[in-house]
Amino acid sequence: MNSIFVNSKNVFLDIVNAKDYIQLDQVSTIYQALKDSIKKPLKMILLYGKPGTGKSMFLNKLYKDLSSTQKVYLYQTPILDESEFYKTLAQDLFETKYSGELNFTQFMKIVESKKTEDIPVVLLDEAQLYSEVLMEKIRLLSDTRTVKFVITLHKTEKEDIIAKEHFQTRIWETIELENASSIELKIYIQKKLMKANCFDSANMFTNKAVNKIHKITNGNYRDTNKLLYTLFELYESYESSNHHRAIRTNNISNKIIEMSAIHTGLIDA
Amino acid sequence: MLNITDLEKRWIRYKVKFYIPHLSIFISLSVILSIFFSFSNNTQEPNDIPHVVKEEPLLVASKESKIKVTPVPISKQETRVIHSTKKVKLSPSLDFMKKMQNSIQPYYNNEVSNKPYTVQKVQKVEAPKIEVVEKEKVLIPEYIPPVKVKKISIKRQNTQNDIYEIITRFKKNNNPALSLFVAKKYYELGDYQQAYNYALITNKINMEIESSWIIFTKSLVKLGKRDKAISTLKKYIKQSHSSGARILLDEIYAGRFK
Ligand SMILES: Nc1ncnc2c1ncn2[C@@H]1O[C@H](COP(=O)(O)OP(=O)(O)O)[C@@H](O)[C@H]1O
Ligand SMILES: [Mg+2]
Repeated sequence: MNSIFVNSKNVFLDIVNAKDYIQLDQVSTIYQALKDSIKKPLKMILLYGKPGTGKSMFLNKLYKDLSSTQKVYLYQTPILDESEFYKTLAQDLFETKYSGELNFTQFMKIVESKKTEDIPVVLLDEAQLYSEVLMEKIRLLSDTRTVKFVITLHKTEKEDIIAKEHFQTRIWETIELENASSIELKIYIQKKLMKANCFDSANMFTNKAVNKIHKITNGNYRDTNKLLYTLFELYESYESSNHHRAIRTNNISNKIIEMSAIHTGLIDA
Repeated sequence: MLNITDLEKRWIRYKVKFYIPHLSIFISLSVILSIFFSFSNNTQEPNDIPHVVKEEPLLVASKESKIKVTPVPISKQETRVIHSTKKVKLSPSLDFMKKMQNSIQPYYNNEVSNKPYTVQKVQKVEAPKIEVVEKEKVLIPEYIPPVKVKKISIKRQNTQNDIYEIITRFKKNNNPALSLFVAKKYYELGDYQQAYNYALITNKINMEIESSWIIFTKSLVKLGKRDKAISTLKKYIKQSHSSGARILLDEIYAGRFK
């Protein structure tokens, strides 16, 4: 009995791994659009959205899917030093080792000399951390049609970010990831649990419970993960405590949801 | 392992905090009602009346303290209004501004209708100037605002300028993200005709942007074309299966979005 809650709890650890990817309606149309646009020459793709909307997950899934058919490289943490960035790309993409400093002009020479039919795709996560200068170089690089970039970016102040200087040019294709609706959130939670064979736990999430969760997390995947991790931890604690009161396990009470939200700081009390 | 007892305590505190407003309204209502009935039945049962009277002042007081919280912003609004009327009197140049802003902001009209209240206040404030300032600091801001009013109008111009800047950028590169941005800004400013125009432009460039369709139909509703909004949304939902559009459609049907 105990292990059900532990297993369910671990489903909601905040880990990005393509094998845990869940096909969601809204996301899958975007995903298809994205795969199509990868085939188009020149276009660079900008994936943006609030933290916790699944950008990194999306990028990882894309990486996993593309890697069987083409050259694709994923950088999950940004390489902030310019020279270091070129050196890493030169080595990974063109198998060219470089010991000293490498500047943009030198790097472009390597790129030109190694041009192939199969255009490599470079996926950059957390691109809001790159400097404007480096972003401009990335754009120039993609203009040469020798490397294709897909980048993700936290949406900062409302939509202002897309009005920002680098994203004006037409070569950017922008795709926004959004928080889940209540319906999508239910699918997300249940699929996630069922993938881990936690069928009983999946059945606990009635529409009422999911609506309550949605109200608290706004459908943000990361916040939902945090909340549900705590929720199952609570069930686990109730079960193993000596004075375990009757806790209903056929559906989830608002009380348990609210207690989890208080513990994770999603509600202040 | 989580500390259940502690969490439960915090939860109860949270619940109590949450229900206090409801409870106090409910109790004070029931007290008022019971007083009402006891008066109408009157004098027959002298035992019960003293009890009720004892409770009454306590509860009424608590109710008052709840209500007191809200009037503060209202009085602030009133003070702002004062300055705008003051300004009109002092500097003729503001007439220009008014003309310019008339087209943008619906709530300027409200201010005009509020005039009768404000004139009284202006007089009150002018007279006891020094005494009041010493007693209550709250009144001090009332003398600063001439500057404040200017600031506000500058801000407005800024968002307008922002929009114009983005429109010029958009004209250069035709990026739908920019036109969508403009549509959203116009929508926020309440200029639904322009919001409609720019969302339409955005849709023409790229007909797959959900939020552009949503701004487009929302503007239609605001422009009084509810039926057209509904038919557009339906068409869009058919080909995109957009959940956002479906939610909006439901809201329009239910009259929650007007
Ligand atoms: N499609 C999905 N399938 C499974 N899990 C997801 C999906 N989208 C988001 N998540 C979960 O939500 C969490 C936050 O997503 P993440 O990609 O890190 O967001 P972001 O990069 O936008 O901040 C991740 O831990 C991940 O497990
Ligand atoms: Mg991320």
